[in-house]
Amino acid sequence: MKVKVKLYGTLSLQVPGYKPSQGMEVEIPDGATVKDLLAYLEILETRGAAVIANGRVLKADDKMQDGVSVDVFQSMQGG
Amino acid sequence: MKFVRVNMTDKTIKIEDVSPEYAGLGGRGLTSIMINNEVPPECDPLGPENKLIFAPGFLTGTSLVNTSRISVGAKSPLTRGIKESNAGGSIGASLGHLGITAIIVEGQAPDGDLSLLHIDERGEASLVPAQEYQGMRTYALVEKLLAAYGEKSSVMCIGPAGEYRLASASIQSTDVDGRPCRAAGRGGMGAVMGAKGLKALVVDQRGKNPDVITDPQAFKEAAKAVVEAVKADHMSAEVMPALGTAALVAPVNAMGAFPSYNATKGQLDGWEKISGEAMAEIIKERGGNTTHRGCDQCMIHCSNEYVDKDGKFITSSLEYETIWSMGGMTGITDLDVIARLDNLCDDIGLDTMNTGVAVAVAMDAGYKKFGDAEAAIEMVEEIGRGTEFGRILGNGPAAVGEHFNHPRVPVVKRQSIAAYDPRGMLGNGVTYATSPMGADHTAGNVVGAYLEKKLDPLNPEGQAETSRFLQIAMAAFDCMGQCFMASVALLHPDGFGAFQKLIEAKTGAKFEDGYFPFGMGTRILKAEKEFNRKAGLTKQDDRLPRFFYEEPLPPHNKVFVISDQELDGVLDF
Repeated sequence: MKVKVKLYGTLSLQVPGYKPSQGMEVEIPDGATVKDLLAYLEILETRGAAVIANGRVLKADDKMQDGVSVDVFQSMQGG
Repeated sequence: MKFVRVNMTDKTIKIEDVSPEYAGLGGRGLTSIMINNEVPPECDPLGPENKLIFAPGFLTGTSLVNTSRISVGAKSPLTRGIKESNAGGSIGASLGHLGITAIIVEGQAPDGDLSLLHIDERGEASLVPAQEYQGMRTYALVEKLLAAYGEKSSVMCIGPAGEYRLASASIQSTDVDGRPCRAAGRGGMGAVMGAKGLKALVVDQRGKNPDVITDPQAFKEAAKAVVEAVKADHMSAEVMPALGTAALVAPVNAMGAFPSYNATKGQLDGWEKISGEAMAEIIKERGGNTTHRGCDQCMIHCSNEYVDKDGKFITSSLEYETIWSMGGMTGITDLDVIARLDNLCDDIGLDTMNTGVAVAVAMDAGYKKFGDAEAAIEMVEEIGRGTEFGRILGNGPAAVGEHFNHPRVPVVKRQSIAAYDPRGMLGNGVTYATSPMGADHTAGNVVGAYLEKKLDPLNPEGQAETSRFLQIAMAAFDCMGQCFMASVALLHPDGFGAFQKLIEAKTGAKFEDGYFPFGMGTRILKAEKEFNRKAGLTKQDDRLPRFFYEEPLPPHNKVFVISDQELDGVLDF
């Protein structure tokens, strides 16, 4: 399935050629979870990734839906 | 360790030993417990009975990193309850290096009489007539003060808003580059300073008489553990230096909890133009600094220097809460305008949050249209000029709501909420409602628990407990002078343990397990609640405004659903 991904914070710096205005489309196996998506994007657990779709923060074992748009952030405690 | 007690009525200064009841306290712990002990709770916050206390953290001035915070406490003219507002910059460390535990400003100068308090490198304090600085804005004032007292000086001062005694008046603090761009913004502490007749506090940075550390080796080891924890935390070590707190615009907006157009929507049209990512791009293109050290002993460097198209300095540091109040709430999506408004607030001496929300309430009431940048700038300028409407605006969103008979006023205890809508982040609503400070994100911000998936922001379960834990921990960290950006890397048993060891190493005393943060944080909150109760605040003051319970917030279309009973139990120690 295909998933539209936008990366925020310093995560976008780790993907060469990533354009923040366009985001990127990735192809992952059907049934892939949030954890699988992060593994595909090579985003380590230690970077505190939070994946948000339709206004909700997804859990690691939530299944991805074909065609969904997700935003990937690093978690923060406040400002 | 000493107190500098300054009486503005008879212009006397006394140096006192720190009495045992304040041992091991600094920052918020010291200001709150002393206010509860010494300030008559029903006094006029702008009268002679109120006291304005400046207290660096208990660990400020030591070798520990990120400890340059200073707490300013008094009875608040905004909330009518106890207030602690803290600021970064360099003055906390300057006082710590002189071994000054607190400056307590008492009494009141005759109307129109203005002084400044100067503390030299030996710690000698003197009151100096400051009539020549009357009405001066803070950037011009600090330039003159640094010329008069030397570049190696730290300054805290008020602008015109403080002299007008407005309830949103801040006390501005100089950063390491000598600019008054840090603020003890919340709760009208600038008004209390203005009412005392004190325009500025000028402290020499070259003091060499810090408090003695009883066990330097143990202190060094615990301090090292803190450094390692901060280095290992992705927020402190990676996100903050790159984007600063503005990094929160995108995720909070994505979660539908970015209060926009005076909290009528949870997402802002055009938010991409004012995100942390957009800000960093603009600053880089123009040759400003996205990473900047604003405070002494900082290893995080979350600050930035925002510049105009010609590379000329506009403000430092453009922060999430200001981008929200001056942008999200007003519908202004131009960072150049927001940066200008931030600088104006610093210069006039105003809380950017209370002021931005006041402007938003006026717009919502129909005074001007949302998104009208020129109108927003003119409104803030009016506060600086002290016009009649400017004074209403400068007294904050509640005063503006009363002026226009407009009911949608997002405040608790008359203090504006912060950049997290309580309907989209229930736990932040619990903190706003129950903190003795009024609506205050720094008192216990739950956003991290949502992003880390520990808690569902829209499910009432667990919100009260999480807010309580964070409110206790933050009260204790605020006592130490520890910056919030570093504290969040230490919100775990190892971090708490390191702090307990630091306190024990400094004092030489042994505390029971869990003293930091639970024993200390609870003691502080109890004193604050007791003061508020005696000042006449009731459970009804620990509630959100009605509209948060009645008007659903798009996109989730939820209202605030935490019960009164649950709110009453949050800090019921």
